[in-house]
Amino acid sequence: MDKATRRTANGGLLIVIVAIVALEATSLLQYNFTHRVLEGEANRRAEGQLKATELQILNVMDQVETAVRNSVWSVEQQLGKPDSLLAITTRLVAANPVICGSTVALKDKNLAPYSYQEGNVILTSSLATEEYDYKNQEWFLSPIGLGSGYWSEPYFDEGGGNMLMTTYSVPVKDKRGNVAVFTADVSLDWLAEMMDNVKVYPSSFSMLVSREGRIMACPAETLVMNHTIEDLAHLTGDAESFEGINRALLSGESGRASVNLEGKSQYLFFDSVDRAGWAMSIVIPEDEVYGEVNRIGRMVLVMQLLSIALLIIILFFMIRNQRKMQAIEQNKSRMEGELQVARGIQMSMIPKIFPPYPERGDVDMYAAVVPAKEVGGDLYDFYIREEKLFFCIGDVSGKGVPASLVMAVTRSLFRTVSAHEKSPQRIVTSINNSMADMNETNMFVTMFCGVLDLKTGHLRYCNAGHNAPILVGKGDNAELHVVPNLPLGVLAEMSFTEQEADLECGTGLFMYTDGLTEAESATHELFGEERMLKALDAKLSSEQQIQAMTGAVKAFVKEADQSDDLTMLYIRFMNNHVSEETERHLILHNDIQQIPQLAEFVEAVADVAKLDVALTMSINLALEEAVSNVIMYAYPTGSDGLVDIEAIIRKDSLQFIVSDNGKPFDPTAAPEADISLDVADRPIGGLGIFLVRNIMDEVTYTRSDDGKNILTMTKKLA
Amino acid sequence: MEVKIIENENVMTAQLIGRLDTSVSQEVATALQPLIDKADKTLVLDCKGLEYISSSGLRIFLTVRKAAAAKGGKVIVRDINNEIRQVFMMTGFLNLFEIQES
Repeated sequence: MDKATRRTANGGLLIVIVAIVALEATSLLQYNFTHRVLEGEANRRAEGQLKATELQILNVMDQVETAVRNSVWSVEQQLGKPDSLLAITTRLVAANPVICGSTVALKDKNLAPYSYQEGNVILTSSLATEEYDYKNQEWFLSPIGLGSGYWSEPYFDEGGGNMLMTTYSVPVKDKRGNVAVFTADVSLDWLAEMMDNVKVYPSSFSMLVSREGRIMACPAETLVMNHTIEDLAHLTGDAESFEGINRALLSGESGRASVNLEGKSQYLFFDSVDRAGWAMSIVIPEDEVYGEVNRIGRMVLVMQLLSIALLIIILFFMIRNQRKMQAIEQNKSRMEGELQVARGIQMSMIPKIFPPYPERGDVDMYAAVVPAKEVGGDLYDFYIREEKLFFCIGDVSGKGVPASLVMAVTRSLFRTVSAHEKSPQRIVTSINNSMADMNETNMFVTMFCGVLDLKTGHLRYCNAGHNAPILVGKGDNAELHVVPNLPLGVLAEMSFTEQEADLECGTGLFMYTDGLTEAESATHELFGEERMLKALDAKLSSEQQIQAMTGAVKAFVKEADQSDDLTMLYIRFMNNHVSEETERHLILHNDIQQIPQLAEFVEAVADVAKLDVALTMSINLALEEAVSNVIMYAYPTGSDGLVDIEAIIRKDSLQFIVSDNGKPFDPTAAPEADISLDVADRPIGGLGIFLVRNIMDEVTYTRSDDGKNILTMTKKLA
Repeated sequence: MEVKIIENENVMTAQLIGRLDTSVSQEVATALQPLIDKADKTLVLDCKGLEYISSSGLRIFLTVRKAAAAKGGKVIVRDINNEIRQVFMMTGFLNLFEIQES
């Protein structure tokens, strides 16, 4: 892992940690907040319920107390007439449904008439029985002792309706000193029912205890009235919890305590009903209060874990991706660097110093490559050898490194091949064969190749699928006539046509690649040949001409992107003192059927040299002998080979150079034929070289270093 | 190049018309085979229409001449142009053939 990647990975880890901390902090805050809200909610609900219950109890007590108080006066009046007391108690019971029984129990007499409700009927009886010593009952003693109204401890009325009851009793005293206790029995069944219905949470429950700690109402009915909270402490063995509950309930205050009941943390809300000395409580399991928040908390936790896992996965992929991107980026910048180097190498291959031949007056040339963004495959090259300017311009199909490589190969092939060849046709053929052989990528090169004799202005050229150069002369500028041929590398053993032309002094040859004519403006219009022809001017020097053309293209293209290399090569022939020398060339295959072409060639040369018919025929004969010799014997039977014939026509002589790449053979070494022999002794062959020797004035043979047979034949002209 | 063979009682005449260069020498040699077969007769090589002759042509002439010498016939070369005459002179053929003007 490199530095940058490690940095990224560390960054990723930091993000994960920060995200976890932030998430956790938020959820903790939220949890606490919700917790508090829920706690407040539980408080509110429990306290509200307690308060409501207390109010209802007080309401009932008020009703009872008021009813009793309103009857106290009547009781006082009737204490002396015990018979009418029953009417008062009966009326009290009838008028107040909450009061299910009433008595006036006299202190000094054993008299306690009792009215009570049974169904819809009010019955009467007396409490002054032998078994029931009313004067020792709490409800009788307490009010007298206190001198005020008293609510009894709840009790289970086994005699009457088997109901949970409480009794409100007030002391009554008349003017005559008669003392009695006036009571109203109140059933507490409604209370138990009410308490039972109080459910602030699904498993919460309420309890009502008396001032002595007796359970008056609670969900477990068997406990009711039979046990105190203290008993429960012993029964359940959970002394600690119940002592806590007991303490809270009997404190006479209101509030909340946390207790442990049935193995669960529970809230105990308690309140006292002061008037009766009872205590109410609501027990709520804590997990119900916070159940929702805990459930949500768990869900949030799971979701957080999931999102963190997701985050880690995403980060992992991001880091991996970034690592890949970095690798790609590095590759890309390396590629770009290499492309720059490739372009550098490519550019260093082509001559760039202009004017290239400042010391020469016979040629004025200039070239320019306006490279596109991407490395392209344009090339040009030139050099002077033996007073001949060898040059080429080419364009490799495609772009990028492959094109530049092919361009490099093409350029070296041009240099290598042209070092030994004077014929553009042979140069092109040789490059083509080499390229077609190794052309597995099907890339090809268009090329125009020329050899300009700087002494004479004679131009030999061969085109391989390239744009025809423009002859910039004194008249109209026009395309040089070229046989198109196929580009290089398409087909091995292709035969290319060589052509010739003579350049006058001041005539230029403007060569270009299609990057010029196909230069596109922003509106996708092409520069085209017409604009190019218009920009050509024979009066301009080569440098001015190239600059003018570059300017014209720039003005046309403006801001549009250049998509292809644009290459131009301009050669102006400037030799005023053309030597009286003319050249003609012919290249033949090793096929005897091409001999008539040689005859035509000789006729043409003879025409230039203005030879008479006899001499023409002799020369023809000599050349046919020399050339047919090569055709028939230089190359192995069935193989393809070429014969190059060059004719140099001077004022006083005519020179033919026949060359081939065949096996070494020196025809001049053959023995002289004896023409004096008679028919029988005369050998059939051996006449050819004899004729050559006799017709020509000078015949020399050399075998060149690069494996060529070169036969030079000179004929002096009168 | 065109070769016409005219056969008379004792004379076989071959009319050679065109250029006898290396490219056609093989077919001319084949065309002249009847003359070589009848080399005991008088063989006439009519060169009135012959424009040019190369060494390969000369070789054919020499072959005919040798056949006649072997079989006792004779060869007459008729109506050669100046240029061909020069070649004949150069190569010593003037000494080997009987040259006639019609």
